[in-house]
Amino acid sequence: MNLKEQFNSMEMNDILLMCIHQEQQAIELYTLAKNQAKHENSRQKFQELIDMETVHKVALQNFEIEHYIDLPPADLKITDYLIEPVLSGNMTAQEIIILAARREGKTAKMYQDLADHFATEKELNTFFQMMADEELRHKHDLETEYENEFLQEG
Amino acid sequence: MNRERPISFNTVPMKERLTIQRQSMPEQDPNIRNCNFLEVNLGLTPAQAVLEAQRCIECKKPTCMDGCPVNIKIPDFIQLICNQDFLGAAQKIKEDNSLPAICGRVCPQESQCEEVCVMGRRFEPVAIGRLERFVADYAMNHGNGAIDLFQKPEPSGQKVAIVGSGPAGLAVASDLAKEGHDVTVFEALHEFGGVLVYGIPEFRLPKSILRKEVATLEAVGVTFVKNFIVGRTMTIQELMNEEDFDAVFLGLGAGLPRFMNIPGENLNGVYSANEFLTRSNLMRGYDFPEWDTPLYRAKHAIIVGGGNTAMDAVRTAKRLGAEEASIVYRRSEEEMPARNEEIHHAKEEGVKFMNLVNPIEFIGDDQGSVVAARCLRMELGEPDESGRRRPVPMQDSEFIMDVDMVVIAVGNGSNPLISQTTPEIETNKWGNIVADEDGRTSMDGVFAGGDIVSGGATVILAMGAGRKAAIAMNQYLKAKVGSFA
Repeated sequence: MNLKEQFNSMEMNDILLMCIHQEQQAIELYTLAKNQAKHENSRQKFQELIDMETVHKVALQNFEIEHYIDLPPADLKITDYLIEPVLSGNMTAQEIIILAARREGKTAKMYQDLADHFATEKELNTFFQMMADEELRHKHDLETEYENEFLQEG
Repeated sequence: MNRERPISFNTVPMKERLTIQRQSMPEQDPNIRNCNFLEVNLGLTPAQAVLEAQRCIECKKPTCMDGCPVNIKIPDFIQLICNQDFLGAAQKIKEDNSLPAICGRVCPQESQCEEVCVMGRRFEPVAIGRLERFVADYAMNHGNGAIDLFQKPEPSGQKVAIVGSGPAGLAVASDLAKEGHDVTVFEALHEFGGVLVYGIPEFRLPKSILRKEVATLEAVGVTFVKNFIVGRTMTIQELMNEEDFDAVFLGLGAGLPRFMNIPGENLNGVYSANEFLTRSNLMRGYDFPEWDTPLYRAKHAIIVGGGNTAMDAVRTAKRLGAEEASIVYRRSEEEMPARNEEIHHAKEEGVKFMNLVNPIEFIGDDQGSVVAARCLRMELGEPDESGRRRPVPMQDSEFIMDVDMVVIAVGNGSNPLISQTTPEIETNKWGNIVADEDGRTSMDGVFAGGDIVSGGATVILAMGAGRKAAIAMNQYLKAKVGSFA
């Protein structure tokens, strides 16, 4: 069953729970990686990601849409073609950003699908569109960080 | 900057100075030099140097010094050239810059001292970099071979360890030796110079120049130790506690190559710029089998990146015999970080530029060797924080091109060895050492500067950071003596 078919068979509350679960999973993964990380720099980076995902989870729990008002910036697609690293405590800063940006991209796609699914239900459509935009914004921020640090082309 | 104006030796009337053309640097012919590793630029003649110096309009408030990260007294040395006192001019530069022959060759003067030269507002700026190179070379080749840096001072009785013999380390060594400290430079490789020796090709910076600069420092008492990896051979704590060094400067540079993380980067024939250039520059792979290190001689080489390292790599590939050596860069030429001179020289030598192109995969044959690159065409979108327009992939623009060698030149990171073996030294999330403006780290008596702190930057910026750290280290050492007394 693909995501769209899955949405058809779910109640709104279940969909929200699924999204919260998705964010929670990310928090747990990054927490695991932070606890396993051998270097303080990696632990810091994982904590930043945990904080980011926690904001998403709270937004879903409160179903708050007025928080997000800006349009998302252009998708730079920098990490779309890169090899997705496996989550571990030994990850380099470069791998952490790639992994996080790719996750944000996939989650943005999920929320966009949900927004499209609820195209005729204004409140839900707006909420999921905002969530998709928020994920894209984070992907953009991560890719900007990636570009500044790892694509100096010097 | 308020300072006393130097004595004028320029006899050319002011109006006439504006009519003198900026002196071109004689160069090897592009079609000859792209087959050899001899230096491209041949240097100004004495007559050209005097003529160029006479272009200086002796501004009441000169701005050129502000553009130099080590504040060389540019108006002063230019006047000494007008007086044909070339050794005096070299001595004047050496007051602030211990590596003038190197900086005269590799500094991006067009974005530093020459960018703010007042002449440049209406005419071409005075060729300060070419003049610096001229007097430094003159001083090396005349008199005692190297001008006397300074009178040997009274020994302070304090020992300083410098980790890394790149531009930052050499600047610190020079300044602290002047203060009478017992300076030892530890180098991990078998030649001194750091990035100057492994990163910059012979055709841009001959190794003989570097060796002479190092010899000058040795002559004034600096000890150089090679094949010594701080963090492996001995830790910083051991240097301080067992070898009695009173202070340590970390100038390790940014020598850890970065890859793109796209499929196929582990194929044979795909190099980091670091490996490719180190094989050629440090190990003299271009002279194989005369020298032991082999270096792949490609037919169709692509170099990914748009900085000076990419230009050095592509020009090296061309000299090694590539029929086609191309720069593949995901932005346009306008956004390229490489010096204009390097881009110009590369084009003259037959290098092809494929701008707004980004590789997304390298494809191998059944032997595991790279045979092609899958690429996307890019277009420029909105500007980023630095003002450079950002490239975004064009839809349905994928294409494949045949290649038999790829060099990745997208940047370097810091070596994690020191942070792993000395956890007392704070590093940032990218692994760079955290140091204050004067180079102080979180560990007492340990200072740092250059690329290991700032990330990849220029030679002169590293030297500037080294000089600042040297001042702070000297104060630290004096205070240490005071506290014992």
